[in-house]
Amino acid sequence: MSANIYHNRKAQWLAYIGLFLLLALVPVLFDSPFLLNQLARYAVFAMLAVSVSLVWGYGGILSLGQGIAFGLAAYGMGMTMQMQFQDPVSDPVPSFMLTNDLSTLPLLWEPFWSTPVGLALTIAVPTIFFIGFGAMMFQARVAGVFVAIMTLAMLAAWYAMAYDMQPFTSGFNGISPPMPFEFAGVSIDPYSPTAYLICVGFLAALTLAVKLLMQSKFGLVVQAIRDDPERVRFLGYNVAYYQVIVFAISGFIAACGGLCWVMVVQYVSPTSLELTLSVSAVIWAAVGGRLSLLGAILGAYLVNGLQSYMGDELQDVWMIVLGSIFIGVVLFLPRGLVGLIEDALGYFTGKSETETATVAIERTV
Amino acid sequence: MSVTDFWTPFELNSFLNALFIGLSIASIWLIAAVGLTIIYGTMGVINMAHGELIMLGAYTTYVLQTFFYIPFLLCLPLVFVIVSIFGLFIERTIIRRLYNRPLDTLLATWGLSLILIQGVRVIFGTAPKYVSIPGWLNFQVSLGFLHLPGFRLFIILATAALIFGTWYIAYRTTWGIRVRAVMADPDMASSFGIDSNRIYSITFAYGAGLAGVAGALFGGLKTLLPDMGSGYIVEAFLVVVVGGTQLLGSIFSSIILGELASIFSYFTNDTFARFVLFTLIVIFLRFRPQGLITEGMKRR
Repeated sequence: MSANIYHNRKAQWLAYIGLFLLLALVPVLFDSPFLLNQLARYAVFAMLAVSVSLVWGYGGILSLGQGIAFGLAAYGMGMTMQMQFQDPVSDPVPSFMLTNDLSTLPLLWEPFWSTPVGLALTIAVPTIFFIGFGAMMFQARVAGVFVAIMTLAMLAAWYAMAYDMQPFTSGFNGISPPMPFEFAGVSIDPYSPTAYLICVGFLAALTLAVKLLMQSKFGLVVQAIRDDPERVRFLGYNVAYYQVIVFAISGFIAACGGLCWVMVVQYVSPTSLELTLSVSAVIWAAVGGRLSLLGAILGAYLVNGLQSYMGDELQDVWMIVLGSIFIGVVLFLPRGLVGLIEDALGYFTGKSETETATVAIERTV
Repeated sequence: MSVTDFWTPFELNSFLNALFIGLSIASIWLIAAVGLTIIYGTMGVINMAHGELIMLGAYTTYVLQTFFYIPFLLCLPLVFVIVSIFGLFIERTIIRRLYNRPLDTLLATWGLSLILIQGVRVIFGTAPKYVSIPGWLNFQVSLGFLHLPGFRLFIILATAALIFGTWYIAYRTTWGIRVRAVMADPDMASSFGIDSNRIYSITFAYGAGLAGVAGALFGGLKTLLPDMGSGYIVEAFLVVVVGGTQLLGSIFSSIILGELASIFSYFTNDTFARFVLFTLIVIFLRFRPQGLITEGMKRR
């Protein structure tokens, strides 16, 4: 066993659980609805970063299309929330449809009358789409840059669709459900601790599940495929099968992110399907460290926090700062910021052999 | 919205006009993609900042016209030189460190594109800028039922000229032979005394220069905005990948994709046409990831 505490599994689990406990304590420590809402948004971004870390860091598949799952789920959630507001008898059609000359509710929208069905579709549709899309790509042994380009094209296609189908999606304006999400008779105010804790709960559950999965035999095969797909294929594994599953799980995580996002912002527009969001998720994961789920989460919080709290005069140059950080990370820190932590911990714990450090992060290869 | 509103019925004259528009779209995609084809084909570098090089070309034209009163046609070679010098700078500082790491070039150049967009926004502001085209290009070509603005015809011709020039350099000069040798086998080329790093630098600069010229031409078509480049990058990439990263392949794929886009948008509308086209491209790449045309020597 390596002496570096960074690679110690118990320490890793402690770090993960410590982080999530800390995040869960925020509503107790701070009584600021604005802050809670903002941190809930960061938690959603962190989910996206985790999905990128899984598919790219562990699976070796650079997907620029995580926004597809995020956006589809966001629209599903937006539709569910919109239909909670509509009344089947007196006001069955959302107002933006009426202004688009649509007098009856389209068939596509009918299932969203029921909140459970709506939620199920919100998660199931993107996940099933990712299974199909992934099967199509990986059974043809599409890899590397071509996956990036194909996911990019698919994302652009969905963006065009959301933009164009104005009577169904309200196009550029997007859907803004007039009321907060209501579940089992409880209204979830986007600025409430409940909404925040739901987001953090999703983030924690998904991250820990992925971490557990990646420590299993399945996860080891996935990481082996990342390092050398040919060799794993020769060993008799069905590479495409593993890649499709990983891709689908990452889509599922991104879909959960999209669901939480609309719950927290009460708005959905084609921007969730823009290339910018998908690439930003890749940036967050890369800056924090794509080989580590915790790294990706930290990257999402750090980059977004930096953006929000940089002074106003610096907002103009924010994109320049972000671009420079990103180039710097790609050139000099391929393992991201947690790579630095790994080296530092290795320096201290590796030499003295004492386990004094309290922070430990996911094992990297 | 009913089905009959959505589908435009077939009508021969306007359909032929749509085919003509398709050619114009093809020329725009091709000229945006040709620099990318060369850079990707030669170096395997995914340059996500290509759209921003196009944007820089457009803004350079604007600056040359507005502050130095240089006529439009003279701007084109100047823009080529200026943007290729910038391309050389990028290659030396960033791209050079990332050879053999294609996914990382994709990411690093994405970071670069963020910097370029915001840099231009800080310098020139968000207000749209304009490139004025010479008056003699402001005519309308009308052949019976076909209508095409003169400037679009000019772009088609300029694209043809640039493609011919690139083809000539690649296949009829010693320089082109060296480039193709490096493409085929960098190690073997090195052992014959070809400095592949130098070839890469110049190739990247040349591709960047072509993007600059594309930007100068696009400037005459639409308003200049700092994020205008992102509108071209997806299409340009698809042209390159569908074509198979060869010059000839890009020509074919841009014509096919441009015509398909125009035909689809004739029957439906622009954005829905994009959806159909992109979906078709994804399916096409599933079955033929190597693209339309592959050169024998590049086959693995």
